Amino acid sequence: MNLFPHIPSYLGTYGSLIQQQLTMALLSVLFGLIAAVPLALLCVRYPKIYPPIVAVLTVVYSLPSIALFVLLVPSTGLTQTTVIIPLTLYSLAALVPNIVEGVRGIPEDVRLAAVAMGYTGARRLVAVDLPLAVPPIMAGLRIATVGNVSMVSVGTVIGVGAFGALFTVAAQLSRSDLAITGVIVIVLLALACDLLLVVTQRLLTPWNKRRPR
Amino acid sequence: MISFQQVGKTYADGTVAVAATDLTADSGRITVLVGPSGSGKTTLLRMVNRMIDPTSGSILIDGVDIRSKPAPELRRGIGYVIQNAGLFPHRTVLANVMTVPRLLGWSKDRARERAMELLATVGLAEEHAKRYPFQLSGGQQQRVGVARALAADPPVLLMDEPFSAVDPVVRKDLQTELLRIQSELEKTILFVTHDIDEAILLGDKVAVLNTGGVLEQFDTPTELLASPKNAFVEGFLGADRGVRRLSFFPSETVPLRTDPIVTLDTTPAEVLARKSEQPWLLVVDAGRRPLGWLPEQRVPADGDLQKVPAGDLVSYGHTFAVDRDTLRAALDSAVLSPSSRAVGVDPEGRVVGVATVEDLVPVIRAAQNGSTPENGR
Repeated sequence: MNLFPHIPSYLGTYGSLIQQQLTMALLSVLFGLIAAVPLALLCVRYPKIYPPIVAVLTVVYSLPSIALFVLLVPSTGLTQTTVIIPLTLYSLAALVPNIVEGVRGIPEDVRLAAVAMGYTGARRLVAVDLPLAVPPIMAGLRIATVGNVSMVSVGTVIGVGAFGALFTVAAQLSRSDLAITGVIVIVLLALACDLLLVVTQRLLTPWNKRRPR
Repeated sequence: MISFQQVGKTYADGTVAVAATDLTADSGRITVLVGPSGSGKTTLLRMVNRMIDPTSGSILIDGVDIRSKPAPELRRGIGYVIQNAGLFPHRTVLANVMTVPRLLGWSKDRARERAMELLATVGLAEEHAKRYPFQLSGGQQQRVGVARALAADPPVLLMDEPFSAVDPVVRKDLQTELLRIQSELEKTILFVTHDIDEAILLGDKVAVLNTGGVLEQFDTPTELLASPKNAFVEGFLGADRGVRRLSFFPSETVPLRTDPIVTLDTTPAEVLARKSEQPWLLVVDAGRRPLGWLPEQRVPADGDLQKVPAGDLVSYGHTFAVDRDTLRAALDSAVLSPSSRAVGVDPEGRVVGVATVEDLVPVIRAAQNGSTPENGR
């Protein structure tokens, strides 16, 4: 069996498929992170809003992306944006609890010391709280990234599925070799992204005695 | 000087953490707050840098109300050492110590120079500077904690049970180090502990607090040990306070006998003459360093000490340094010796003289009756 069978030209090349897959997956993780940090910090600041926000995020996480596409298409059309928005919401669901627990998990004596040294709220956040929450934040990022890299494929239903399109063609033409190749490439992409995140975390947290391997 | 004026803390549910308290921590001295848990000692401490706000009264540092400037600014001018050190795990030792100077806007170079200086002050080698807290032992972490608190050279230092989480040997080291550093820097230190021995060892003055934040007695350690004001303070001090109090009196008043001291070269006639008066002879070498006790029954009949096998000498136990050690050390030395005699030595370890337990009794009695002992520690 040919590991990289010829694919119909209208799908583009393996390179272009990989590029699309990664663009949509990583952009949604990035947007998710940008939205998750302030949301999580609000939850830390006002603990009462945390349970309802987690509940809402869990519901969002359980929504089928296809249903969300239906809701989004009238406003955002058959574009990558329509795929990115639901994936951003999924990332949010994975990231917010991790950031909240990370910041809350800072040892009490470290928090007290930071206050006693004379840190003001905002400066403490940047200098102490967030750096110390890096390990759980990275754990959330890994879950979101690996999930998104695979889930982007669902976009094929609105015609922007990257490797999803490959699976659709494989089904129509009964080309199981195409499907297998697609799965292998996606898994490799997910693993590569995960590895990159692990390396990043190791570099960011030389102080952590329990670093990921 | 830190003055607490009618300072109290009552929580919304009516629990009194600190009853209206008046207390003055003198400048350049160590003031210890000691008491059982629930006695409000940590609450009182944390009020000074406004981590907790009192519900009544006011606190002044050198006459200035602590509420006269914003809390973060106040805190940067007050050193703080916490139990378990509370180091920032994501920063190197050096960066931890540089924290407050950097917050105060010092340049990186100046802050680094100061931090290196302080690591040396607290007895840490240069190579520790680049390590992360998890790579240090508990005792080393606490040294870094002290260095970090001293970084911006604050006049006031708050220490919140700083040594209670380390093992007894390391704690002893840290206590000694603190006293050494304090003798050089003369900070105004407020020190919280639940350990009365630590309070007595470190405090120039000790405030004994009872449950509900009631100040029972505020005195020097010797006064506290000599005359506890009530049953609570007496109970808190423990049963051996009389013996402990002896550690505040110098041993130089102990009368020392020299007649039981003999050398290997002392003439046999002289040895026999001494033996008839002394049940124990202390044999010393040519440099007057102690070799051991010789009980009278093992003295050779002809008095020739050269014939005594080394194994016949009884260990002299531990000696006390006449110019430095306290009455407690002298008593300990006598009580622990098989001869019931304490051996007093000079700084070079040469024997000055010996004292029996009986010799110590009048000196101890004088100490117990005297009201103004020297601060012997």
